[in-house]
Amino acid sequence: MLSTLIQKELKGIILSPKFTATFAICSILILLSVFTGIREYEAVSDQYDSATSLVEQELQDESNWGHMSTRSIRKPDPMQIFVSGLTYDIGRWSHVESTRPIKLKHSPYSDDPIFAMFRHIDFVFIFQFVLSLFAILFTFDAINGERESGMLKLVFSNSIPRAKYLIAKIIGSWLGLILPISIPILLSILLVIIMGVPMNAIHWATLATLIALSVLMFTFFISLGVAISAWTKRSSVSFLLSLVIWVMFVLIIPRASVAAAEQMVPVPRISEIESIREAYANDRWKTFYDISEERWMTSSNMNEEESEEERDRAMWDNMVLEDSLRRIVEIEIEEYEVRLLEELRQRKAGQERLAFGFSRISPSSAYQLAASGLAGTDIEMKDRFEESMSQFRSSFVDFTEKKQAESGNTGGIMISISTETGIDIKDGSDNSALDLTDIPKYEQPRRSYAQAFNSTIIDFGLLAFATLLMFVASFIGFLRYDVR
Amino acid sequence: MINEISKQPSPMLQTNNLTKRYEDGVLALDSLTLEVNPGELFVMLGGNGAGKTTTINLFLNFIEPTSGEASINGIVTHKEPLEAKKHVAFVSENVMLYQNFTAIQNLDFFSKIGGHSDLSRDDYRDVLNRVGLAEDAHNKRLKGFSKGMRQKCGIAIAILKDAPAILLDEPTAGLDPKAGYEFIRLLDSLRSENKAILMSTHDIFRAKEIADTIAIMDSGRMIMKEPAANLADQNLEELYLQYMAGHDTKAAG
Repeated sequence: MLSTLIQKELKGIILSPKFTATFAICSILILLSVFTGIREYEAVSDQYDSATSLVEQELQDESNWGHMSTRSIRKPDPMQIFVSGLTYDIGRWSHVESTRPIKLKHSPYSDDPIFAMFRHIDFVFIFQFVLSLFAILFTFDAINGERESGMLKLVFSNSIPRAKYLIAKIIGSWLGLILPISIPILLSILLVIIMGVPMNAIHWATLATLIALSVLMFTFFISLGVAISAWTKRSSVSFLLSLVIWVMFVLIIPRASVAAAEQMVPVPRISEIESIREAYANDRWKTFYDISEERWMTSSNMNEEESEEERDRAMWDNMVLEDSLRRIVEIEIEEYEVRLLEELRQRKAGQERLAFGFSRISPSSAYQLAASGLAGTDIEMKDRFEESMSQFRSSFVDFTEKKQAESGNTGGIMISISTETGIDIKDGSDNSALDLTDIPKYEQPRRSYAQAFNSTIIDFGLLAFATLLMFVASFIGFLRYDVR
Repeated sequence: MINEISKQPSPMLQTNNLTKRYEDGVLALDSLTLEVNPGELFVMLGGNGAGKTTTINLFLNFIEPTSGEASINGIVTHKEPLEAKKHVAFVSENVMLYQNFTAIQNLDFFSKIGGHSDLSRDDYRDVLNRVGLAEDAHNKRLKGFSKGMRQKCGIAIAILKDAPAILLDEPTAGLDPKAGYEFIRLLDSLRSENKAILMSTHDIFRAKEIADTIAIMDSGRMIMKEPAANLADQNLEELYLQYMAGHDTKAAG
């Protein structure tokens, strides 16, 4: 009985004209998105390889440890083919040197704003926007449409339990939509293999989980459509209601959540932070110079009664003191900036938590968060890379400073004036190649499958819960549904 | 005497003081008692809101009775709906069926859910031929079918279920005279197969032509029930109007 009902649903979907259109659109979209994703990945990988070679060449050309700086470059990940997330928004590389903090710059979108305007179409986009809409369009009249055509009366004039009928309806609709989608998905996987994308075991496991997650999201929208149709009498009403709910879930709630979080947890802009820091620095330096001036004045008054040798010593001591005080001021300003940035980071994190918390009301958002978390192209991507680059910067700077100290070169410029040899300027470099054998190399941040999966557990759970809720709503609605 | 009683057929379709009052207070059916025996074609006549469709809906347990009960083959429908529905086939006023399926695909689905999964395509063709659906339409999608053709598919589904009772809700509404005539002939043949048939209709002429028992219903009440044979010499339309007028007068008084 159940299999007959499922077959009927399946056949009903496959024989409907809208199925052909849906299948064609989904196949073209999925294959095209994966193909362009692979080409984009290949282009970025080539760019990465050239940039890495260039950086290595620059290091080899360097002749002075004191002047040494480098760049760390973000390596593209094959998962960006399926979930581009923030890949194209985040900078590709950062300077690595002692005087500048790590800051990723030159994002693909900043280089090619046309793509930022319309964004890349990826696997997640197709599921989140296109397939969820199709799921709704296929199921919004699953129950009330059959009532309107009198089919519910005819079907239930037979000895069929309602629960069985509803289960068949959901399973049939699910299979009717999932089976055809699985064809372009399998072809996409084949495309990935044929085009030689370097996918390792973690990537494959992540991709399998992503597909499972996408199917779960799709199931949610199917059960949502069925639930709405089981709670309304007219298909025109359920169509409108489904569309409104879809717009809310997919378009409104994610954006409204960010706006609400922005209002509830205001975060100062970088320019504000910089001006606060600037004001603090100005204040500290003013105090420093005032005290310094006073000290010099006092010192010069005292010096008049001392011998020249004592004056020189006092001046030297004063210079040493001033240097150390200057260093203290610099450290204070630096620490103040770190505190400000930390506060900013925490407020931002609070705002993000709130925005994500609100947006998770929408299963569509939960799906997006889970998918990007899984693929590693989520909002933490930037932090992850900057953190690993900062660690690299520390080891790189430590290494070069150690090497500089070992070479006896202070890194400054030595000017000698002699009546015999004239003026001689030395910058410490001896123009011989540096030994780069042990120089630290930038290691891309790595995530295990367990780490990737753990970051999605909440959203996975929420999505599963929402789907279950829709099943229950469908059952309650249909068990008391007036089939006449 | 005892033997005679035991030989009497027990009613296949039966209602006993069946009453339905909706949540909004409308009394759709008021203490209806009727019996339809195997081989009997019982016709309910009446205008819109007379309670004909409500009676059928109660037999099929689409709604619960307020009081009283309806039974099919002795099984009370609101107590054991799934069991009761095994013994009844239903043909509605506007048989839509699955528009993207062919006639045979529709028959295949409904015969399976009706408990007959052992039927072959030949069986479907035979029954479609029996109801008069042209052979070239058997494998066509129902999208292009006329109402008469869809109705033939509907009755074919009822025949395939091979249930001892058949409920028909305004089955001839909207059919052209030829299709209506063919439909009535089909009912006649089903009756000869000892089916108990309960039909609601507005069509007084068809009712007189085919019925064994005719009942007139108004405002949820059965205001007349007579064997068709007793009405053979009477103008049923006139009688119907008289009854309705009389009932209206009583109701007004």
